Amino acid sequence: MTELLQKIVKKSPWIYRINAGSCNGCDVEMATTALIPRYDVERLGCKYCGSPKHADIVLISGPVTAVVKDKVLRVYDEIPNPKVVVAVGICPISGGVFRDSYAVAGQLDSYIPVDVNVPGCPPRPQAIIDGIAMAIEIWKKKF
Amino acid sequence: MSTFLKVILQNIIKGPSTIKYPFEDSLAPEKLRGKIKHNPDACVACHMCEYVCAGGAIRLQESADKKGVDFVVWHNSCTFCGLCEHYCPTNAIHLTNDYHTAHLQEDKYHYAERTFVMKQKCTRCGEPIIPLSPSTVEKIYGKEGDVKGLSKMCPQCRRKVLWEGGVIKK
Amino acid sequence: MNIMTLLMDILIFPGGLFAIALGLLLTGLDRKLYARLQRRVGPPIYQPCIDLIKLSQKETLIPRTANITAFRFAPLLGFAGMLAAIAIIPITGIYSGLYQSADLLVLLYLLSMPALSLVIGASASGSPYSSVGLSREITMVLAYEIPLLIVFLTVGMRVGMSTGATAVFSLSSIVNYQLQNGALLFDLVMLPAFFAFLCCIPGTIGVVPFDIPEAETEIAEGTLLEYSGVGLAMFKLTGGLKMLVLSALTVALFFPSGLGSFWLINLLWFIFKCIVICTVTITVVRATTARMRLDQAYKFYLLIPTAMALISLFLTLFSVRV
Repeated sequence: MTELLQKIVKKSPWIYRINAGSCNGCDVEMATTALIPRYDVERLGCKYCGSPKHADIVLISGPVTAVVKDKVLRVYDEIPNPKVVVAVGICPISGGVFRDSYAVAGQLDSYIPVDVNVPGCPPRPQAIIDGIAMAIEIWKKKF
Repeated sequence: MSTFLKVILQNIIKGPSTIKYPFEDSLAPEKLRGKIKHNPDACVACHMCEYVCAGGAIRLQESADKKGVDFVVWHNSCTFCGLCEHYCPTNAIHLTNDYHTAHLQEDKYHYAERTFVMKQKCTRCGEPIIPLSPSTVEKIYGKEGDVKGLSKMCPQCRRKVLWEGGVIKK
Repeated sequence: MNIMTLLMDILIFPGGLFAIALGLLLTGLDRKLYARLQRRVGPPIYQPCIDLIKLSQKETLIPRTANITAFRFAPLLGFAGMLAAIAIIPITGIYSGLYQSADLLVLLYLLSMPALSLVIGASASGSPYSSVGLSREITMVLAYEIPLLIVFLTVGMRVGMSTGATAVFSLSSIVNYQLQNGALLFDLVMLPAFFAFLCCIPGTIGVVPFDIPEAETEIAEGTLLEYSGVGLAMFKLTGGLKMLVLSALTVALFFPSGLGSFWLINLLWFIFKCIVICTVTITVVRATTARMRLDQAYKFYLLIPTAMALISLFLTLFSVRV
């Protein structure tokens, strides 16, 4: 029964994007994965939603700057379980080029548990789709 | 208003223009800047790539048993800028066009390219050095090659050999 | 009324299971066609069912500033209203309406129930985004109810004056009149009213260019912001049912003719007509227009559909026969 549920549920993950102080390069790539016809992510059942309460998979980009850290944690708490976190770009994974800056509060996985990393500056949309596919596999096992 | 209707009809007739990525492969252009590949035989451990790296992703450190130099590039901090490839004097580091970079959190600190640049013993005094790369040897000595075996000696021995057997005779 | 037939009408056919299945089919077809119009592949047609199953498995988070009872019960109001509304509309050849005197005016009240449930849900959420969304929703309801009311009045009077009374609002009588005297769609006097009614449909359902209360990019999904889990599933289901109610109502008011007397063919013909109406008024409009501002949408509804409906009303009042 759980396996049937998992097989059904993995076809409809809803995605929410959080920008934790990024330069918007990765945000542009994340927008192109869903909206442009060439890399349509809606055929996998995904949908970009406007509210964190509707989300299943959350894509976070940007180094966690000191100003935005509390807000990212608050929005992360608004997402209902089960959820999966994907860190897009090298900034949330390791700080990227801003690693030792005074404005950066640290790596993302020292604040929230991250499941999938997609490095690149910015990563190619196909790599982001790979990351989302891995995240869906992890997500369906949490049901 | 009628342009919209024409566009809609054309779109239905032309069909989808999607590349169905995980099920069909998507071509990567040859010059795409992807993951780093390092050739330890051509590397001379000059630390130039470490100096210019934008993300601080490259680290060269002498190994614990002093037999060579460890070269690590952590893909999670590499911005694919290409500066290391541009400044490497011996063409030892390249950017391939591999863009498949998604990985799980458990592999985060293992997701790196590690090579080992071995030191070899100087043929004259026996001290371990990193030899010159083949491309540099070819640039210096040209077609006839390195007849005196100078590229396998440490810099001090090279100077002594040239002083002793060179222009100024003892 | 026999209690068994009542339950069967509301819960199985044509309300309840049949309506939910058809509503989800219409939603799925709309998303697939919308994607194809943009040269994308789009999700499979059964995608809304999967969405609902997934939503029912997520946990429900209630905000701290929310009124818990109203928050939990708001989605059910719209759902119940739509189920009752579908049971009233007759389908030619198969089903003749719940009560013989079932009213068009009762349907008008029932049609405003989903909007009411959105408003109650949004105000029970206690978030500033929701209150912006709910004020916009109320404004839109005020805007599109005016032409809707005038169209209902026109249809009722048209049918009534031809049969002797002043105005007849019973849906079964309207359908029977059309089956005998030809569909109202082909009557040139009613054509502006038909156009006005088609203009009201995107506003009622909340589709671009009138999806102002639920504007995703502006106010982070407005009225539905704080809902997750089963409540959200109920709201999405109500949206699908509203599409079905409105297209079934268009069919019943303007061209309800059947095709022969075998029930399966009549059913398929009805479903085909619903799909055509949804495609023309929802999907094509959604793919070609952008979202309007609130004052532009209000001005539009008060000018153009109202004018069209009033033209039809006056022509009917003066018994103009064309």
